[in-house]
Amino acid sequence: MTFSATRREFLIGGAAAGAGLLSSAACRPSPLFGVETRAHVEPFEPPRGESIDLVSHVLNRCTFGARPGDRESLLRLGATADAAVNAWIEAQLHPERTGDEAPAQALRRFAHLMEPAGELYEYKPRVLLRDFVCATVLRAVLSRRQLEEVMVELWTDHFNIDISKGDCAWLKVADDHEVIRRHALGRFRDLLRASATSPAMLWYLDGRVNRYARAGDRPNENYARELLELHTVGVHGGYTQRDVMEVARGLTGWSVRPKRGFGKARVEFHSHEHDDGAKVVLGQRLPAGGGEADLDRVLDIVVSHPATARHIAGKLCRRFLADEPGEAAVAAVAETFTRTQGDIRATLRAVFARPEFREDAVRGAKLKRPFHYVVSALRATDAVTDAGPRLVDFLTSMGQAPFQYPTPDGYPTDAASWRGTLVWRWKLASALAANQIHGTRIDVPSLRRRAGGDEGLMAHVLGRRPSVREVRAWTELGGGAAGMGLLLASPAFQRC
Amino acid sequence: MLKTLVVVFLRGGADGLTLVPPVGDDDYHRARPRLAVGAREAIALDGAFGLHPKLAPLERLYRDGVLAVVPACGSEDDTRSHFEAQDLIERGGTDVAGGWLGRWLRRGSASSGGALAAVAFGTALPESLRGAPGATVVRTFEGLGLGADAGRLARELARLYEDDPLLAESARDAEDALRRLASLRESDYRPEGGAVYGTDDFALALRRMAQLLKAGVGLEAACLDLPGWDTHFVQDTAMDPLMLRLGSGLAAFCADLGPRLAETGIVVMTEFGRRVYENASLGTDHGRGGVMFILGGGVRGGVHGRWPGLGESALEGPGDVAVAQNYRDVLAPVLSRHAGAFAPEKVFPGYALRPLAI
Repeated sequence: MTFSATRREFLIGGAAAGAGLLSSAACRPSPLFGVETRAHVEPFEPPRGESIDLVSHVLNRCTFGARPGDRESLLRLGATADAAVNAWIEAQLHPERTGDEAPAQALRRFAHLMEPAGELYEYKPRVLLRDFVCATVLRAVLSRRQLEEVMVELWTDHFNIDISKGDCAWLKVADDHEVIRRHALGRFRDLLRASATSPAMLWYLDGRVNRYARAGDRPNENYARELLELHTVGVHGGYTQRDVMEVARGLTGWSVRPKRGFGKARVEFHSHEHDDGAKVVLGQRLPAGGGEADLDRVLDIVVSHPATARHIAGKLCRRFLADEPGEAAVAAVAETFTRTQGDIRATLRAVFARPEFREDAVRGAKLKRPFHYVVSALRATDAVTDAGPRLVDFLTSMGQAPFQYPTPDGYPTDAASWRGTLVWRWKLASALAANQIHGTRIDVPSLRRRAGGDEGLMAHVLGRRPSVREVRAWTELGGGAAGMGLLLASPAFQRC
Repeated sequence: MLKTLVVVFLRGGADGLTLVPPVGDDDYHRARPRLAVGAREAIALDGAFGLHPKLAPLERLYRDGVLAVVPACGSEDDTRSHFEAQDLIERGGTDVAGGWLGRWLRRGSASSGGALAAVAFGTALPESLRGAPGATVVRTFEGLGLGADAGRLARELARLYEDDPLLAESARDAEDALRRLASLRESDYRPEGGAVYGTDDFALALRRMAQLLKAGVGLEAACLDLPGWDTHFVQDTAMDPLMLRLGSGLAAFCADLGPRLAETGIVVMTEFGRRVYENASLGTDHGRGGVMFILGGGVRGGVHGRWPGLGESALEGPGDVAVAQNYRDVLAPVLSRHAGAFAPEKVFPGYALRPLAI
């Protein structure tokens, strides 16, 4: 045990030293982290529409932004734009069918992040957080399974865990692969079950200390409340304080083994700490003596409640349709959720099948959140990046440092919450364009060449041909790096 | 009403018994035969306590009644580990999410959410700012602008944003903030009130902080570290220069702020104090109770809190100053003077506040 710990520490040291090397070598593409430098020299086809066409819209809305060439790859999937979009969505809904070598290669040095929860205790929290954030940004930038990454972000907020609370420093890393990524496009019921028994969630919302050891013990309601209010039926879903208490009773006894000692981070059910009396949850009776099985009965009840379908449908519609989606859209999506018993893939299909998804008016109508904005800037410019601290600093300044939102509601999704971040968006834009972010490089002349000139480059970044005003501004700045800074800072690029 | 909170963290565990020696306490002189500050050397504060002579620049602030001194402060962490103690004190609890300043900015105050509402002067964000709605590390003012083409870029952006239905107003705010930031050049800065800053990093950071405060960019929380207080060995040689820096730096900062000091709350804190008994190498080891300073607007000057004494029976653990004041009870009155609403249960969850009257 001691030996393996020592070996690990040594390996971490090696990884850190490697990272140092990488940043110092960041000025030139290196075979080590330059996986995505895959000598991108081929020309690509920029959009030609006056306004955002369907392809640009889908790439804006369902990915973290279009990379050079993404448009053509999508269009190759069908005879018409419409057919190609449908085929692309279907392919994205089955990420396992899309090869994804670039992130796999870039993340090789982060293999330790994939270890089981108990093993993660071997690492220093600061090192773990740095690597975890770095890996998350790299995946979002490099992955071809973009819709999966977008859904991972959505569920990460939905089941928010602040890594700074207690043992979440280690356990959230496992929650990311064991809970969020494993079930991001699977069944909501499985996702919820995994989250409810995730060591990180048991820590974050105090489930581990929700126990009934002797008569008169009052349950800890923290998780039960958020399970109802945030994870399932929603704040106006019609539950009462009584339901919160009954759910909390049903979940007493689930705990997680501590950091020190045998079987660390193992989730266990302690029957002697479970309140085994009868319960009534959302009007449904759980007979006494349910024991461990109470958990699944509670989850069955809350998942099949109609308010849960509406709550999840509303969230998906807000992400993919509009900040204030119409009632008809939410109802239709909720109906699919219910009919498919919470099949996330099928529910997403219902979202993308809505006429609202293809309306002109919704295109470019949403404000990108900071993470989306930063990643989309890197993608649009084909940046070679180590996703190191200098880049992550921008996310922190914009108020969206990954995994560090303190309250269980997750980073806000509405535009108003993020409008105040323009200063830092503009600073990122100008610093990225001028190659002033240590560890991140872009090549504007090459991009320009590949896009077939100024107009093409502008259209690529904006998702449509530039307006007269945008062309004038670009020309005033003399194009080039300054022009690229302007495009990335422009109002159009803030939107998706 | 305070607009800005400045938190100076003395990393390493600063010896409260040297910063603010209990010169009237015989047990102090017995426990520290070689390291005690003599009653005649110290600057008398209230009879029981003095100020170390190297902190003389703070005397004026004390006499003006804008400096509160709270001995025997600390947290409930008794690991005596720098890492654990700093973590607990900066988080404001053990199993809480985010840092106390982060929670205060996000939930407990009416934060304006400006681009530079929360700033750490130095190289890294402290744990206390974790979870803030946006926090920035400022090393120098270079790089705070939009780069070489700043002026032209800002002009073109203003045109592109001017009639944007969603972002026009935010863009005007951003332009304004950037204009103010662009005007910040350290070489052009003229401190006011006769303030003379030193050339050490601490003084330069305070100077930068004063400049940023005056620029009106909506600074609400500013953090600054002064490290080096882990004085196990020949304590005087380590502490003397640090105290000089601390005292002269803060005095210059307060003078420079002038009337703005009334809108500023300054907190000086550390993770723990040090062992009462000096060790064989003329140093002191990790202890418990330390000292906190509160300066600025609305402060009731003087020496505050309960002094547990240094008698054998009053000491904690291996011979440490007992923690008679929880640091949260010292921070709370400062937070409650801030213009925003202070929600103690959000900032210090699970702690029943008994704020000191300071």
